[in-house]
Amino acid sequence: MAQPLLLSRCPAAAASSRRIINPSSSHLNLTTTTITYSRNIHSSLRPYRESHCHRQQPKSTQLTPVARSSYSYLRPYHSKHHPEPPSHEYTNSQTTILSAALNHVPEHGFTLDSLTLGARDVGFLDVSVQLFPRRELDLIFFWLASRRGLLRGKVENGLFEDLSISDPRTETVKKGNELSVEEKVKILILERLKMNKEIRHKWQDALALMSFPSNVPLSLSELHALSSDILTLAGDTSVDAAWYTKRLSVSAVYASAEVVMTRDETAGFSDTEAFVERRLEDCNAVDGKIGELKQCLGFMGSTAVGLGRSWGLKI
Amino acid sequence: MSSRSMWRGLHYSAKRRILTPQTPYRCFSCSLRAQDQPSKPNDDRMTHFGFNNIRESEKESMVGAVFSSVASSYDTMNDLMSLGIHRLWKDHFVRSLNPGSALPSKYPSSPNGWNILDIAGGTGDIAFRMLDHATNINNDHQTRVTIADINADMLAEGKKRSIDTPYYNTNRLSFMEANAERMPSVPDNSVDLYTVVFGIRNFTDKQAALNEAFRVLKPGGVFACMEFSKVDNALFNAVYKRWSFSAIPLIGQLVAGDRASYQYLVESIERFPSQEEFRDMIRKAGFMIPGRGFENLSTGIAAIHRGVKPVERAE
Repeated sequence: MAQPLLLSRCPAAAASSRRIINPSSSHLNLTTTTITYSRNIHSSLRPYRESHCHRQQPKSTQLTPVARSSYSYLRPYHSKHHPEPPSHEYTNSQTTILSAALNHVPEHGFTLDSLTLGARDVGFLDVSVQLFPRRELDLIFFWLASRRGLLRGKVENGLFEDLSISDPRTETVKKGNELSVEEKVKILILERLKMNKEIRHKWQDALALMSFPSNVPLSLSELHALSSDILTLAGDTSVDAAWYTKRLSVSAVYASAEVVMTRDETAGFSDTEAFVERRLEDCNAVDGKIGELKQCLGFMGSTAVGLGRSWGLKI
Repeated sequence: MSSRSMWRGLHYSAKRRILTPQTPYRCFSCSLRAQDQPSKPNDDRMTHFGFNNIRESEKESMVGAVFSSVASSYDTMNDLMSLGIHRLWKDHFVRSLNPGSALPSKYPSSPNGWNILDIAGGTGDIAFRMLDHATNINNDHQTRVTIADINADMLAEGKKRSIDTPYYNTNRLSFMEANAERMPSVPDNSVDLYTVVFGIRNFTDKQAALNEAFRVLKPGGVFACMEFSKVDNALFNAVYKRWSFSAIPLIGQLVAGDRASYQYLVESIERFPSQEEFRDMIRKAGFMIPGRGFENLSTGIAAIHRGVKPVERAE
């Protein structure tokens, strides 16, 4: 329980044990009771903790910068205790080539040709694509990761503050900071989908490559990173099982909407927008149904217990 | 018996006294002096030749003798020792490097062909594969390979084999007798791709060879090396060690009639640095290391190392 606070005071130890913190514990500081509780433990454990830190320090200095960045990249949740990891882990040269290569994607797709042309644009040779052990896949993941970074940047630059949405049903106008989490999620999904506009016609090829069995784990973790980013940026603070279900549903909605978008010919992608709206409503409906089912089962259970007791059973 | 050994001791010491007259003869100190002898201050630096330590100046000629004696039966022996797997490794190596530019056939304006330098490629195994790949897969008829080897016998074997290839007597294939540590005939920044396959462990000064590779490569050029390395699975390692130390010298004796050369081969494999150490040597020469820096083949019996020479502007 005391781990997040404890680790935040001891960055060296935090770096080495980041992966074992479970997602919910990162949000524990939200409740005051937990804070006092963990502070007590915190002070009682001080001697131990400090020696612990000392032991860990040499270990973490041995970590190469590459290893450390991949560590932070692996952290599968958002935390207020740690700075946000960079959205990708490519080196300067790699980023230069990949950024240049993205300019060629609308014409050549996510292919080795784009990568080669990108390398040439910034003064590298054809052979320099050896910098990318995963070839085209690196281009795809750079695209995904950099767009994710852009989305984060947009929110930080006041995406919601500048918005005002009129609700036709209640005929009121909502300011950006009054939006609910669900509404923000929808805005963010659509915002992210809009970034695919230029490469829409090439995206199916990329999806095909990403669904190649050996690439599936990486693709899924990138999808998780995106859904987690969307929910965090929307201000979601769930710490229970909902943390998982929400991320799963956002992932499912986003992934299916992406496929729909590749075949959407309407102006302004109104079909895709409608699709996203329907799917999110479905999610809410399923959520509601599950809640009702739980309630119903609870009533039936308590009725059965009450009935049993009235018959003299020792329950 | 004891008198005989004493006589032998005296006899040897008498002999040694002739060789090293500056050391005064002292009775009963012969064996001590024999032990001291190698650690005496010596102008020549020592290096290893298999498990033996020899003078650096001698290594070149001794390795030369080994390869002169195995040149003719080189391919048969490789097949027998690796059970044919070396062909798969070499095919994979060439395929992953993807030599030859696919773009010129699509965009006539782009620069043509790669300049490939294949070090220690005497028999042309890699060079012919690369030219085939460039021609047949990438439709690039411009890529050139220079085969460099320190050993004239191996080069002669390669020249003999090149007669059967379509590249014989064309400007796409050339031979050069050179020491990879000093190649004054190759100008700075002139090579796109530098490969050394199962050769670098025989070099006297590996770091010097890496520095020389860095010099001759164009900025953005790639250093690619395939070499025997350390097996990462303990159980498989035991089987592999048994095979290499028992079977390979025996096969060498039976097939090539030369046990000593193959004994040297397995010992030199054992002495070669591990994947991580060699990666750090490549980094030390100034190369950028993409990703993890090496790719294990057959759980690490062989490993492919890559380094990319940085482009100044991008860094």
